[in-house]
Amino acid sequence: MKRENSRGILMFAHNNSEIDYFRLAVVNALLVQVNLGIKNITVVTDPHSLKQGEKTLGKRLIKKAINNIVIIEKDKNFKQQNLRNFKDTSHTVKTLPFYNANRCDAYDISPYDETILIDVDYLILSDTLNHCWGHNNEIMMNWKYQDIMYERKDPSLDRLYDMGITMYWATVVYFKKSDQVETFFNCVKHVRNNPQFYKDLYKWQGTLYRNDYSFSIAAHMISGFEDKGLPQLPTTLYKSFDTDDIHSAVDKNTVIMYLEMPRSPGDFILTKWSNVDLHIMNKWAINRISEEMLDYVTETTATTN
Amino acid sequence: MSTKLTKALEFANYRVTINNQKAALLAKTESLLSYSINGGSFTINVELLTFCKQLLDEKQKEVVLLDIYKNPIKVDLESFYDEISSRYYEVTNEYYLEYEKLRKARKVHKVLDLNEKGE
Repeated sequence: MKRENSRGILMFAHNNSEIDYFRLAVVNALLVQVNLGIKNITVVTDPHSLKQGEKTLGKRLIKKAINNIVIIEKDKNFKQQNLRNFKDTSHTVKTLPFYNANRCDAYDISPYDETILIDVDYLILSDTLNHCWGHNNEIMMNWKYQDIMYERKDPSLDRLYDMGITMYWATVVYFKKSDQVETFFNCVKHVRNNPQFYKDLYKWQGTLYRNDYSFSIAAHMISGFEDKGLPQLPTTLYKSFDTDDIHSAVDKNTVIMYLEMPRSPGDFILTKWSNVDLHIMNKWAINRISEEMLDYVTETTATTN
Repeated sequence: MSTKLTKALEFANYRVTINNQKAALLAKTESLLSYSINGGSFTINVELLTFCKQLLDEKQKEVVLLDIYKNPIKVDLESFYDEISSRYYEVTNEYYLEYEKLRKARKVHKVLDLNEKGE
């Protein structure tokens, strides 16, 4: 008898001194369960982040949300060197460590035949990602994105630099276990291990190592050095930015967002966002509504179990 | 600030909010009009529906269609058409109802289904 392909979600969650990524992973894992109907959820974390999660959320809730936790030790040098400006709207900016060094190991870590790798702040508010399972394309990720404040445009996010290759977003990546995909992830690792060489070659701006860069470079290389060579996901990537905030969570599929006006920094309009997955880059904002969101999702999982 | 100017700014805020909300509603509709089968993905639109209906009228049973990636996907026409047409009616009807609700909302809090205090 043919074994059915295993399918699952993979997330990485490493806290820094301010942002509780592990908490975000737990909230998102429960959203995955109620909105995608998937129980196979792997979260890669470190002992410190897990301990913090156990302290604030409790082992029972973590176990309910995540059925496979992979614990790794952080590379301390990388952590100290990779600093990024995090915004909690335009009013608050903080420089903090951004630990994203091990995302290139996703292929080796994933126990599934088919994996959807997502950022913990990519909130699953619909079942749209279920369109990916069993797809003919072995790997898919988006280069196109849509800001949910429709008037806002930022051309600097389209390419690695003004005349460079198209930037793919590593926010959501679908992949199957195959030789081609393994080679892709080996390329990503090569970029991670030799950032200066690739920075000189592909000329990305700044000193920050981003997975969006390494995944874009690997996509370019694996496609025979052709731009936009890898297929996109069958879903649009919707984003809000760290200058935005969340007003409230209405239910397990809906959030009301404060969106910063394009020509009036610090002023906001409200938007109700419903039944479409959303990348929320203001991590503090998600943490602030995480309690409400946990109430909605735990209520739903309790009813369905 | 004069009352007239306050009202004008309130109206401007309302216009921006409602336009963005309409775009959000369209995003949801487009997302629901995506359909995947046999390893391919399709956008359910008038063109796809009309083409499938024409093939059905020609008594075709199994056909190859090009998906959004231009990959050839073999489908059982009758069940495929049933699925995409029912989805199309369901999603566009919901779009119509929610759009009408938006069209009639004259205050920001009504656009967002909040009370006057914004709660």
